[in-house]
Amino acid sequence: MPSSSPGRHPVSGCRRLRFRNIAAASFLSALTVAASGCDRGGAVRSGPSVTLESVGGRGGPIVVATGLSDAALDPAVRCVDGASDCAAFVVTVQEGDSTPIAGSYRTKGGRIEFHPRFPLDPGRTYHARLVLRDTTLRTALTVAGERHEATTVVVRAYPSDTVPENLLRLYLEFSDSMSRESGVAHVHLLDDAGREVEHAFLPLEGDFWNPAHTRYTVFFDPGRVKRGILPNEQMGRALRAGNTYTLVVDSAWHDAHGQPLARPFRQRLVATTAVLAPITLSEWRIDAPRAGTTEPVLVGFPRPLDRALLDRAVGVETNEGKPVEGSVTIAPGERRWTFTPRAPWSNAPYRIVVLTLLEDVAGNQVDHAFEVDLFERVDSTARAERRTVEFTPGR
Amino acid sequence: MRSRLTVVSAGVAAALMTVAATRPGTPSSVRAGIGAKMQSISALAVGPNGVLYAADPQAATLYALDLSKLPAGTPGTKGIANLDQQLASVLGTAASELTISDLKVEPKSRNAFVSVTRGQGADAQAVLVRIDGAAKIDVVPLETVSFTSLALPNAPDLNPSRGRSNRSQSITNLQYLNGRLYVAGLSNEEFASKLWAVGYPFKEADRGTSVEIFHGSHGQLETRSPVYTFLPMTVNGEQDLIAAYLCTPLVRFPVASLAAGEKIRGTTIAELGAGNRPIDMVRYMKDGNEYLLMSNTSRGVMKIPTKDFGSAAGITTPIAGTAGIGYETVASLTGVQQLDLLDATHAVVIARTSSGLGLQAVALP
Repeated sequence: MPSSSPGRHPVSGCRRLRFRNIAAASFLSALTVAASGCDRGGAVRSGPSVTLESVGGRGGPIVVATGLSDAALDPAVRCVDGASDCAAFVVTVQEGDSTPIAGSYRTKGGRIEFHPRFPLDPGRTYHARLVLRDTTLRTALTVAGERHEATTVVVRAYPSDTVPENLLRLYLEFSDSMSRESGVAHVHLLDDAGREVEHAFLPLEGDFWNPAHTRYTVFFDPGRVKRGILPNEQMGRALRAGNTYTLVVDSAWHDAHGQPLARPFRQRLVATTAVLAPITLSEWRIDAPRAGTTEPVLVGFPRPLDRALLDRAVGVETNEGKPVEGSVTIAPGERRWTFTPRAPWSNAPYRIVVLTLLEDVAGNQVDHAFEVDLFERVDSTARAERRTVEFTPGR
Repeated sequence: MRSRLTVVSAGVAAALMTVAATRPGTPSSVRAGIGAKMQSISALAVGPNGVLYAADPQAATLYALDLSKLPAGTPGTKGIANLDQQLASVLGTAASELTISDLKVEPKSRNAFVSVTRGQGADAQAVLVRIDGAAKIDVVPLETVSFTSLALPNAPDLNPSRGRSNRSQSITNLQYLNGRLYVAGLSNEEFASKLWAVGYPFKEADRGTSVEIFHGSHGQLETRSPVYTFLPMTVNGEQDLIAAYLCTPLVRFPVASLAAGEKIRGTTIAELGAGNRPIDMVRYMKDGNEYLLMSNTSRGVMKIPTKDFGSAAGITTPIAGTAGIGYETVASLTGVQQLDLLDATHAVVIARTSSGLGLQAVALP
């Protein structure tokens, strides 16, 4: 009879296994079950038993029945080597579940291995039923590994506090990776009486996440934001200037470990007058650094800009068009962008480079307001254009 | 508090600034072999000769899976009241760990194929299951299936320098017709919404056709909103694709106008309502009339007569009400998340009930 050997998987044969055997039929079988298992050295003792066993690699543990003599087995329900089902040895998610987990069987001597089709989940308890000649051995098996608790929270939402009533999108930042579950059902906008504002957000499929699934984009329905069209005429904007709202993220939203949020998130939003003008670079204030230093160049905006687009649509280059290496800081409120170069500035001119796809929080782009009909733009160019603002480090 | 620090390589940012909007097309690639290693799975389409097409949106890749050697199941699709629990039992996990992306019925066997994601984190697995006429759920062994695959060029960035990734929408829907696989999705280009017509066997994917629409209830042309569901149908003797978008414009695109690298504008024949995402649509005959049946996230299941599709004037101005082709909401069908035709008189739906997700065959309304 093979003994299990320690593997790389957290569940390693007998030694680290937590198991709980439940005798089904009789006190006698309970004694039989209790007698099986592992001794202190990890070797398997005689008598039928069911354990988890590591097979190394990333595949997770398999479920193994050992100590199976011909006399112990029920001849009517023998497992066949290579089969994908076996009535004699069934592993399920729920105790007593009639639907077995998909997988395949290997048999050798007094041993049956169940290889699950998909790795068993760390921390989850599975249930094995081994049908013997005189009884059925039921075993609960808990896979080692972190059992996750509900700890993930919404860290912040931005823009925060005061927002224009034609706000187009919000971002939610989470403390840990979230699940693939859509957020549409979990994000709510309440008016000052605590009533939900219906149809405030777009019901997108797939949703918009950063690659780590820690930042989620909530889109207001542009049909309600834009004036003079059906949803706007029928329902008006979701936000109305002068009113106070509460953004609520309910805790039923699951994180990447399948756990709900540790607590709901609430943030107050005060709606102000709509921002209808395009972004105009001439309104930006640039504080130039001193030449020969690595002081930051500071760019101030008269209104908050889209946080995510600021990351990808603004940079610095030399007068010859060569990108300047450095780090970017965006102040809370998204009204100031700071760039600190890796190498000292020369006294030659530099350029702040801005892609015209940069938007403010209401969807107004550089030189192009959200409310303007887009017919002309569609037929114009396929390129996001560049704009530049020059500055020269001082002495 | 002054600021929070986000370190970004300005070199990366600058590089993005020059290429993000119109990255030169990378060559598409065709692969063939045994064992499809799909990073993700979403839209499905059924072709002839046992071929099932499946989208891998994370890899922006189309798979043609040869299921002809799959042991036959019991013909038909039998309902499963607690489908999510049954799937979880088979896949060895909890129902909360599963995401169902699509449902397609193979017309010959009338078995249902369902694309499922097992797990919620970065190590989530793509799973394809078959449900047969005995309600048996079989996991399709992707690792032993013969496949060919085709990577689409210019997919949305997976890691857009801390920006939003819409890679999950690189492929949103598939339909097969007469040797061609029609694909809807997004690219990384400025006019991002695309339709591809891909010949099978796969050779090479072109840049796709940029599709734009006038969205009356948004009062603007839209070029970046993806087609969420579509189907081929003949209108006025012309082969068209009928496509539905977010906030529910219904649009006609003539197949003949699809041309790689070109941009076409569809004819918006209906505005079916705001605050809604269409999910699936099927076409059927009832009492001598043809209808579309379309499931939606928040506007129920719509029964849309097709007889005026050929004569409906295009919507080209902002609208102040639903417009164009009308529809009736099917009150008996609620919570429908997935929908496909089972036969000439029945559809198979996956619908949310008070106890979870159920699979059932329903009479076509």
